[in-house]
Amino acid sequence: MIQELDVDGVPTLLAPTGGPMRAGLTFRVGTADETLARSGITHLLEHLALAPLGLADYHVNGATAPAFTTFHMQGSAQDIATFLTSVCANLTELPTGRLEVEKEILRTEHSSRGTAASDDIPLWRHGARDFGITSYPEWGLGPLTGDDLRQWAARWFTRENAVLWIAGKAVPAGLRLALPSGVRQPVPAASSALPQTPAYFVGGSRAVVLDAVVRRRTAASVFAGVLERELYRALRQDGGLSYQTTAGYEPRGDGNATLRALADALPEKQDAVLGGFVDTLAKLRVGRIEQADLDAVVAKREDFLGTAEVDAARLPSYAFNVLTGERNLTVDEHRAELKAVDTDDVHEVAREALAGALLMVPEGHRADWAGFAEAPTRSADTVTGTAYREKEGDGELHVGVDGVSWLGHGGPLTVKYAECALMLTWPDGARQLIGADAISMRIEPTMFDLHPGAIRVIDSQVPDDRQVAMPARDPERIPQPRAAAGTERREPVKRSWWEIPLMVVSGLVALVIGGGTFLLTLGMFVTETAESDEGWLWGVIVVGWLLAVILALPIVLLRRRRR
Amino acid sequence: MPDPLPAPDFDPAAAFPEVTRLRAALAGGDWPGVRRLLEPLDWDGHTLLVRVGGEVEGIEPFLRAVLARQPDDTLAATLLASHLIEVGWGIRSDARAAHVSREQFDQFHAHLRQAEQLLIDICARDPGNVAAWQLRLPTAMGLQLGQAEARRRYDRLVAHAPHHLSAQTSLLQQYCPKWSGSWEKAFAFAHECTLAAPEGAPNGVLVAEAHLERWADFDTSAQRARYMRDPQVAKEVREAAERSVLHPAFQHRPGWVSVRSVFALMLSRLEMWDAARAQFEALGNLGSEYPWSYLGGAKGYVRYRAEAYAKGRSR
Repeated sequence: MIQELDVDGVPTLLAPTGGPMRAGLTFRVGTADETLARSGITHLLEHLALAPLGLADYHVNGATAPAFTTFHMQGSAQDIATFLTSVCANLTELPTGRLEVEKEILRTEHSSRGTAASDDIPLWRHGARDFGITSYPEWGLGPLTGDDLRQWAARWFTRENAVLWIAGKAVPAGLRLALPSGVRQPVPAASSALPQTPAYFVGGSRAVVLDAVVRRRTAASVFAGVLERELYRALRQDGGLSYQTTAGYEPRGDGNATLRALADALPEKQDAVLGGFVDTLAKLRVGRIEQADLDAVVAKREDFLGTAEVDAARLPSYAFNVLTGERNLTVDEHRAELKAVDTDDVHEVAREALAGALLMVPEGHRADWAGFAEAPTRSADTVTGTAYREKEGDGELHVGVDGVSWLGHGGPLTVKYAECALMLTWPDGARQLIGADAISMRIEPTMFDLHPGAIRVIDSQVPDDRQVAMPARDPERIPQPRAAAGTERREPVKRSWWEIPLMVVSGLVALVIGGGTFLLTLGMFVTETAESDEGWLWGVIVVGWLLAVILALPIVLLRRRRR
Repeated sequence: MPDPLPAPDFDPAAAFPEVTRLRAALAGGDWPGVRRLLEPLDWDGHTLLVRVGGEVEGIEPFLRAVLARQPDDTLAATLLASHLIEVGWGIRSDARAAHVSREQFDQFHAHLRQAEQLLIDICARDPGNVAAWQLRLPTAMGLQLGQAEARRRYDRLVAHAPHHLSAQTSLLQQYCPKWSGSWEKAFAFAHECTLAAPEGAPNGVLVAEAHLERWADFDTSAQRARYMRDPQVAKEVREAAERSVLHPAFQHRPGWVSVRSVFALMLSRLEMWDAARAQFEALGNLGSEYPWSYLGGAKGYVRYRAEAYAKGRSR
């Protein structure tokens, strides 16, 4: 039995528990409410609210999700009261002195966390906005000021936009939730970056992952259980192809729910895991739902509903539903709904899920053969503008009044200024533009024959509040075109073995003959010569000079020759 | 040598008159007739007719019309898939990949993708449909879906039809290096299938096929000749023959013509003339595109037959 109360204007839920007392304060705000250029603001706020508490490892006491942010605590009633009172106090009197420190901590947290197979799925489905922002690094942190945070807190972290849940005997004494007044914020609409579904994209991990969005209902949650059992049988039990096969169901807060199913694979089995996954989905899509699976999943859920801890365990999701205005069921109502689910209902979920599915496949694979359209990796159109050639390769950059396009191998990339979610800027002139559709383009000025004004044009056209400055790069990391050295460098001429001796010999002979002829010529002018000898001697001189020239020729020719 | 031997007939209808009736029913748009022909057959006959039926030209509009009226008719969908695969492979041709144009590959893949999507549905509805699983082996090969994936499909098939020879022949092709496999895999598979099948079963032909593929893959005739002189090759082919075509329990079931043809070819090359001649005698004048297309079709058949008759003794 979950009691509905009120603490300081905050809707409060209370359920008994046999275990330790625990509580959570949830706000209807998350990464889906942010913009890419200011992403990280909610997470930063969460950290600032927790930091002054002096808790070791405090980051486990808070969680920022796409549509919700939660602070939770397990301990004595006194600890919980102190914790939540302080969190609310910090949210209203932000400890902005810690701002830069916490930004650094967040950056470190991000870089040290491992990557999960499905990290990128949100950006492929939604783009670089609302529910897709969670896929990106928190690039917006840098420019955030104390004022930005105070504004964000004032809008989102209010009494009306919060729910408190407590698993315990009573509301702890001394608990004060001193939050400002505000309004309940609806869950943002989810964008789509998929022109056609079912779609697939190539992910960087070894797993096959299905992502689907369906109308939220009990049958959908049962479908997830059925899918998990089918994947287990087909891929692990029967085929020995996967080690991990899981399927989950999570309400999104807008009347829909996200279904995720994953099967991992060794490199040599990836193709079979993909094939088996496709066949399993097809089986459910055509309606061959095993009654035994349905019964087993329902039985497992019913077991959970029958436990004494069920209400305490349901509190977090009950709290989400209060915040989003979705309906909450009693345990009995849940049971009734579960009993009513039949194979036709599950079949209907399967069809809905597959119609809008996004499949992540391992590197080197495709899913077009199975009827999945390739999720766009390129833009459909280009902008006109000044064209700049790439220094290496055939690519061309067009900088225009509407946006920027890169044309090259594989197809064009275009980001229009009006649709630019974020532009990262580096002091060395490099720019990275990310469109709302998640198309991302990096411009390295060193790699293009760019006019110096081109980058200035881009900078002036992208709205200021979408630009984020990145720290200066190590010069080694700035790409340079290859072969910057000149081609004028003279290479030493390679000569055959006979060329030098030939030059020497002909040189010597030319010298001898030339020398002799020269002396003879001198003699002709200096001394008296007999009339009869003169003609003959001049003839000898002419021949001598000619010979000398002919013999000198090889030297000249060989020296002039270049290999 | 006997009287001038009749010209070879490579038409599957020569061995199976049902083929002629099927072609007539397809060409005449007689869907109930098609169904009646296929219903009573076991999987060997069924897969043969599905393959041959798919080769009939111009049946796509007819089959699509049947499917439009009866979307759940898995036989129509299977025949359509078979036809699309035939047309697709025809566009690609038998040439090595380097000699196939970009255009050809695009059309080839487009046809196979269509077929594959039909087959995914059929197998989802009817997981025991051996003919549909069978067709998913050439689609997997042509679309390059991977070795492990081909094996997965084969495993799904043999769960319903152990020792299904056409599936084993298809997987053997996939296991050859020309389709990203390896000779070790190909031979291991061939031996595994041969030993697993009962004596007198045709599956021994897989060993002969593996050796045939290996022999055909060599670059020079010197290498090919040396391979055929290898006593290990002779031993394996002979043992496989003794377990299948030379065994008293061997029967003429759908597909027997190409089984005897492969052995006729290989036993001839290995100069086991008596056994080779026995194959040609059993074949009469029947032949099949595979394996004779490797040796110039009918011309090769006639040459080999003449030599076998000349050098082998009759039983």
